[in-house]
Amino acid sequence: MAMVNLTINGQKVSAPAGSTVLQAARLANIDIPTLCDHPALAPIGACRMCLVEVKGQRTLQPACTFPIAEGMEVQTESQPVTDARKFVLDLLFAERNHYCMYCEMSGDCELQALGYRYGIDHWVYPTYTKRFPVDASRKYFLMDHNRCILCRRCVRACSELVANHTLGVRQRGAASMIQADMDVPFGQSTCVSCGTCLQVCPTGALVDKRSAFMGRDIQTQHIQSTCAQCSIGCGMEIVTRDGNVLRIEGDWNAPVNAGLLCQKGRFDPLYDARPRITKPLVRKNGVLKEVDWDTAVQIVVQALKDTNAKDWGVLTTTYATNEALYLLDKLFRQELGVTNVGLLNDVAPKMVEKANGSLADVNNSDIILLVGANPASEQPVASFFIKRALNKGARLIVVDDQENGLAAFASMNLGMAEVEKAIEFAQRATNPVVLYGAGVTSEAARALQKLSGKAAFVALEPGVNTRAAAALGLNSGFDPSASKALYVLLGEQNWNGELVKKDAFVIVQASYQSPLTERADVVLPMAIWAERTGTVTNTEGRIQKVNKAVEPKGEAKPDWEILSLLASKMGKKIGTSLDEVSAHAAQAIHPS
Amino acid sequence: MQPLEAKIADPAKRSMLLTALYIAQEQYGYLTKEAIERVATRLGLPVADVYSMASFYSLYRLQPTGRYVLQVCEGLSCHLVGGADRLVDYLRKKLGIEVGETTPDGLFTLQTVQCLASCGTSPAMRVNDALYENMTAEKVDELLDTLRGYHV
Repeated sequence: MAMVNLTINGQKVSAPAGSTVLQAARLANIDIPTLCDHPALAPIGACRMCLVEVKGQRTLQPACTFPIAEGMEVQTESQPVTDARKFVLDLLFAERNHYCMYCEMSGDCELQALGYRYGIDHWVYPTYTKRFPVDASRKYFLMDHNRCILCRRCVRACSELVANHTLGVRQRGAASMIQADMDVPFGQSTCVSCGTCLQVCPTGALVDKRSAFMGRDIQTQHIQSTCAQCSIGCGMEIVTRDGNVLRIEGDWNAPVNAGLLCQKGRFDPLYDARPRITKPLVRKNGVLKEVDWDTAVQIVVQALKDTNAKDWGVLTTTYATNEALYLLDKLFRQELGVTNVGLLNDVAPKMVEKANGSLADVNNSDIILLVGANPASEQPVASFFIKRALNKGARLIVVDDQENGLAAFASMNLGMAEVEKAIEFAQRATNPVVLYGAGVTSEAARALQKLSGKAAFVALEPGVNTRAAAALGLNSGFDPSASKALYVLLGEQNWNGELVKKDAFVIVQASYQSPLTERADVVLPMAIWAERTGTVTNTEGRIQKVNKAVEPKGEAKPDWEILSLLASKMGKKIGTSLDEVSAHAAQAIHPS
Repeated sequence: MQPLEAKIADPAKRSMLLTALYIAQEQYGYLTKEAIERVATRLGLPVADVYSMASFYSLYRLQPTGRYVLQVCEGLSCHLVGGADRLVDYLRKKLGIEVGETTPDGLFTLQTVQCLASCGTSPAMRVNDALYENMTAEKVDELLDTLRGYHV
């Protein structure tokens, strides 16, 4: 790439042609303050914090939008520049009510930090005595217009990143306000509560309700992990303080989602109010009694020895790690020879020999076939990708016999029987993408083969770690009525246990109390998503790390550790350390 | 530089927005929610964007107005000729409403505007799209009677 040479504050700097002054400065580790700019968003030059002096230019120029040129001379902290920034800050502090000492973001606020940096120690202009409204109509976060600086990061995140277009600005000048749709309360708007706006807000205008006033960023830990609420596998940071999860943030550097999360990943896991199982439970004289791990494991091992493999049934959630699924497969299917094995969710059919597509292909596609999958509710972040592609001019064809959350965005909605019509359009396109789920009928799957080699095929697997479970063969078919003994890796999921024989011996590995754990003979307490380390495989086949952010509650153990314990008690050497199990699991999921 | 991802596919459609809103306003009287939704659907633009635009420009009305919008010029020429203040005061008393308000019968809305580009014939006022020049109290009486006459 052609490089352009310039000087910033007398320092020689070179940056790729087409860069802005701000980008060039950042490459050279020269700090230019910003407010409306955000690395994930297109620059708009609105806040004027990044004004710099460019030799030869009549006025100060915003670094975030001003392109670099050969021989350019830039000053980023000269007197005219700092005077201008102070002026901008004086005006920003005069608008709305910026009383930092009462603000949740005090200490983490970008506006406040700049106030300190440029010595804003009093109000130069009269401030409002008027109170601006606070909109708390959304469940998970609120909008305090008193703290808003109208930088429009939230508006741009909503349109550019999530492509939801809920947020906008109404009126103009001093009457400008961030608003949703046609000026309705946020809670009644088309908002999907993905929380991306919350994550980009530079001040305390958008505040997470659950973690508000629970500590400054410096008092928290950020643990990088992978969201395991659906099969997309978004990178996330679990923010904790003193062993408690405060909130979840999207990881801007994550390869799959680049910072985005959805309601399912960001908020719902923190609002789970089901009572936990904290100790192993064993049924004695008809009643579940708390026991220690040794006793519980001994009973399970005995049951495994006493019952024939053909009388066993094994059912698993896909909310489990690769390690747990691998050990479950190894122990029950391969070592003990159990064949009645199944998953708690469906699996997308095998469409092409090698799934060649990735979610990134959606972004560059000109036509998207969404077949038998409903990402709007199942994999919301994937639906954001689709809507982003539509903004760029791609067309969406929904092929589904069920109601589809993206039907309103499609240029064509077809039934599964009309899949041929969609295929015709895809054949005429340049970069078609086929996104398919478990709802694809076998006829449609066969018809879609015609597009192999032409289209990028990306599965949108139901469940979470479904890709790994399917690769391990755990979806071989399950009939609960055929088993006298049942091992259920239930995890955080619920299962009503229908068709389980009344006299069947049921062992459940679960995190939460549920009708199934009430009915079980042995309950093994399992750690939840934030309490375990391991790996998960996303719908593209990408294996990603899950890291423990907080300690398991009570005596709960991570999913794989429980199975490892059972295996060793049965004298099976199938991996005891996490690294060893992870390596075996990766090998089994992606045989080289 | 980063491409503007959120750019709506067809820029031509976005450029039609102001005209489309104006036509919708003529049809509906003011920009109702239905009018804004219709414009958004027809142009393939987000509702929030269309609403933002409609609320930005003061010539778009988001609230209902009377059948006749009386816009009295308070530009420099009209002011100097001694018309604007007197005319506005006269209309306020005559109609019993303040600037920005609508008569209870829904017939008249009183507004003040800057310069109707009729300085040579000031004071000037506008009723909907028609210009009235060299206005006096008598001419206002006559005008209001005529407009009311249409509704007898």
